[in-house]
Amino acid sequence: MPNLQKSPFEVTILAIESSCDDTSAAIFQNGRILSNVVASQAVHKLYGGVVPEVASRAHQENIVPTVDAAFQKAGVQKQDIDAIAFTLGPGLMGSLAVGVGFAKAFALSLNVPMIEVNHMHAHVLAHFAEDPKPPFPFLCLTVSGGHTQIVLVENALKMSILGETLDDAAGEAFDKTGKLLGLDYPAGPAIDRLATQGKVRFDFPEPQIPNLNFSFSGLKTSVLYFLKKEMAQNPYFISENLADICASVQDRIIRILIKKLKKAAKQTGIRHIAIAGGVSANTGLRKTLELTGQIEGWTTYVPRFEYCTDNAAMIAIAGYFKFLNREFAAHDVAPMARMAF
Amino acid sequence: MIINEIFIPNLSALKQAVKTLLKVANGRKKIMLYGEMGAGKTTFVRVFCHHFKTKQAAQSPTFSLINEYYYIENNRNQRIAHLDLYRLKNIEEALNIGIEDYLDDEQYCLIEWPDLIEPLFPPDVLKIKLEIIGDNQRKIIIL
Repeated sequence: MPNLQKSPFEVTILAIESSCDDTSAAIFQNGRILSNVVASQAVHKLYGGVVPEVASRAHQENIVPTVDAAFQKAGVQKQDIDAIAFTLGPGLMGSLAVGVGFAKAFALSLNVPMIEVNHMHAHVLAHFAEDPKPPFPFLCLTVSGGHTQIVLVENALKMSILGETLDDAAGEAFDKTGKLLGLDYPAGPAIDRLATQGKVRFDFPEPQIPNLNFSFSGLKTSVLYFLKKEMAQNPYFISENLADICASVQDRIIRILIKKLKKAAKQTGIRHIAIAGGVSANTGLRKTLELTGQIEGWTTYVPRFEYCTDNAAMIAIAGYFKFLNREFAAHDVAPMARMAF
Repeated sequence: MIINEIFIPNLSALKQAVKTLLKVANGRKKIMLYGEMGAGKTTFVRVFCHHFKTKQAAQSPTFSLINEYYYIENNRNQRIAHLDLYRLKNIEEALNIGIEDYLDDEQYCLIEWPDLIEPLFPPDVLKIKLEIIGDNQRKIIIL
């Protein structure tokens, strides 16, 4: 059985993340991430997205080598592991099942406890991978291809959603408007790059959504109307104005996000503001957050890119907090594609 | 009377359009949603789910591929499956996410970008196309 008498500082955790595209394994020890290995599935580049069958197969291929690499990089032995943390959900069922199955087998063979982790909680807790770490309570805007949430983080185990998207995620808004512009899907990084070369010249309407929720589906539609009108007059409109359109779309998405974040900060009185998730890699969002923080008197937190996208380090951290609270998973635990926050 | 088209003059008229479409469907539960990006397919599903008072509001399944929403009818839990095949490249991938289960059962199944799986359509499928007429104006064409 696990040595629960160990000081919290001596705990060693192996974490597995396999909810979506990437297989990842990380080793956490003494409050530090010793390794965080992500097997990026180049095969997906050919397909342009998350393809479930390809994803679960690739996870099967990658999981053992990825875990081996994590151990090697960390310089830790398998016997040193006190617990294994894994992503229970949300995610693609076939992909999650690979990680959950692996975690069970590993935990049984080493006779150590398992810790189930909610992927969305882990994104928030990625901020504890490195300094500076936000103090509790803080607000976290989690933005990715599948999610857009403002989370009130009271402590590592207690967090709640203050607002979320009613339709499309912010990342999806990037990807789909990019598609309308003829960019390859997913188009987020390309829009970010083009936006830096363009000027904000076109105004897209702001969605009128009450409270702290978001909507990005209307933006996509207004970009579509706009392009149709302009293209009817000038068939080269997109190619002649691509950078400016990208800058304008990106500016609108960012302003929608920041406006709600400001509202949440005002409502809660919290001034420690963090962003997480794949879209927090967007340079425009990072800059705007920093600027807004200076004006509003916030302390802002943006994790390094490797902790923004899906990774096992964040699963390890979330697992560690649960370990301290002795929250372990039963052996009949099963992955959950849709999971309550 | 045979209805071939439902005109939707504004967003709030979508609620009535869902009711009309359910009459047209006449018990058919597999609904294929055609229409270009921005035509309002996900919005249609959102209003559709609202009509059935699902516990959770519909969100875009482009990333998750499949969303399931639950509602209670005659004291029984019922499900609306909401799929988006936009990111799939071939029919094998659709089979591998278990699409046949959703097409075969007795529950509602609404599929965006269903072109890929046309060979798998059950005989009583309802195909509709959302078409943009103007800003905020749409038309549902029963195919």
